[in-house]
Amino acid sequence: MIRVPERRGKSLLVGLATVMLSGCITARMEDNREAVTGIAEGESVVIMAKSYHVGNETEADYVSCVEKAMQSGSGGLRVMPSKQFVDSLFPWFEPRTVPSETKGLDKLMARPGVKERIRKHGVRYIVWLDGDTERVAGGGSLSCAAGPGGGGCFGFAWWQKDADYTASVWDLTEQESAGTVSADVSGTSYMPALVVPIPLIARTQAAACKGLANQLRSFITNEEPT
Amino acid sequence: MSSIRSVLLIPLLALFAAGCSTSVAIDTTSIPQPITEKIPIVVAVRIPEDFENFVHEEKVLGREEWTIDLGRSNAALFTQLFTYLFDGLIVLSPDDNPADYTFDALIEPSIEGFEFSIPEQSQTDAFAVWIRYRLLIFDSVGNRFANWPVSAYGKSQKEGLGSSDSLQRAAVLAMRDAAALMVTQMERATGLSALADGPLEKSLIEDVEQQVADERGLTEEDSARAVALTGLGGFQNDSGT
Repeated sequence: MIRVPERRGKSLLVGLATVMLSGCITARMEDNREAVTGIAEGESVVIMAKSYHVGNETEADYVSCVEKAMQSGSGGLRVMPSKQFVDSLFPWFEPRTVPSETKGLDKLMARPGVKERIRKHGVRYIVWLDGDTERVAGGGSLSCAAGPGGGGCFGFAWWQKDADYTASVWDLTEQESAGTVSADVSGTSYMPALVVPIPLIARTQAAACKGLANQLRSFITNEEPT
Repeated sequence: MSSIRSVLLIPLLALFAAGCSTSVAIDTTSIPQPITEKIPIVVAVRIPEDFENFVHEEKVLGREEWTIDLGRSNAALFTQLFTYLFDGLIVLSPDDNPADYTFDALIEPSIEGFEFSIPEQSQTDAFAVWIRYRLLIFDSVGNRFANWPVSAYGKSQKEGLGSSDSLQRAAVLAMRDAAALMVTQMERATGLSALADGPLEKSLIEDVEQQVADERGLTEEDSARAVALTGLGGFQNDSGT
């Protein structure tokens, strides 16, 4: 018989419960390289959502999730907070004024103070996030009732969410597009209920965040994903 | 017994009423200092009364009552923006007489329209705000020089259960959008740096007048009334002459 120390046993239980209480997720990450990348010490990356003026609906919490994931861990990159970057370059990175294609980079960099400010911050790459997470399907039936003697739920419900995001990487030093990285994640959550509802939630957006950040990191550093 | 009933009823009614209305208050907006060159003129800005306390009320889909209180964020925005934008700035209140001050141009901003949409209306997860400002620009003696409509748009995704934060963010983004537009386009759209050389020549005044009337779709009388406060063709001095 294998004896598991009490603390480790608790961790195992929590981990097991998390796995069991998760929904089902399928994920596909792809990249399309257009130029050689690499990042030197002291250089940083800015993660931003594409402009809402062109219809983009990327969630603010997804952007901050990718920001955090890109800089965490041993191979983490230096990420400059997008708000700080946009504020310091006001008004040239506002939704209305920012170039939508790398073609506009030359003109932007030629504006007084822009190139110097970007160089001062050490920003080498801008990553533009485009896409969102949407509920695409759902079904089942679940009803709950409560009375003087107590209450409970009975039934089964499920829903599916798709997270499709594309990250366009712009190299500000070379003033060109380095390529794109995309995440296509689909997650189905279930909620069976026999008196007590048991949510088996698929964390679709979180998976898309982690997957995209990993892929982006290896794309920029030009190394295999960890 | 009836007093107990009314004590119970009043909070219930209050709760019901609160459920049908949403209030959003916008904190004073601040914009970063632009990395653009200042326009080399001294400008006086006349802040209208409603910029100090702008409140928009609207019933959405005929049900929910929304109250958006921009407070004095418009006054703060224009004062800060013009400080960054021009070499010199004089802030005038609605009661100040421009003739008492020395400047190259007088700008009178106003809000022409404020609209917003909530996710239930747009069938998306976003709140959106549109603000339409109008800038009337006069030379140093009160001749109308330019009339520039500024349309701004802000959008914010719904986050969490409350909707007021998202709408607040959309409104702030719309004001910042207006600021970005004014910083980048003010000179191109109005050419007001020309006023550094002095007031308009007489031949230009009629052209500008006609242009303003055409743009706003106003008759001559309406157009004259619209600028009566400033007194087209010359500011009134204290004696009213």
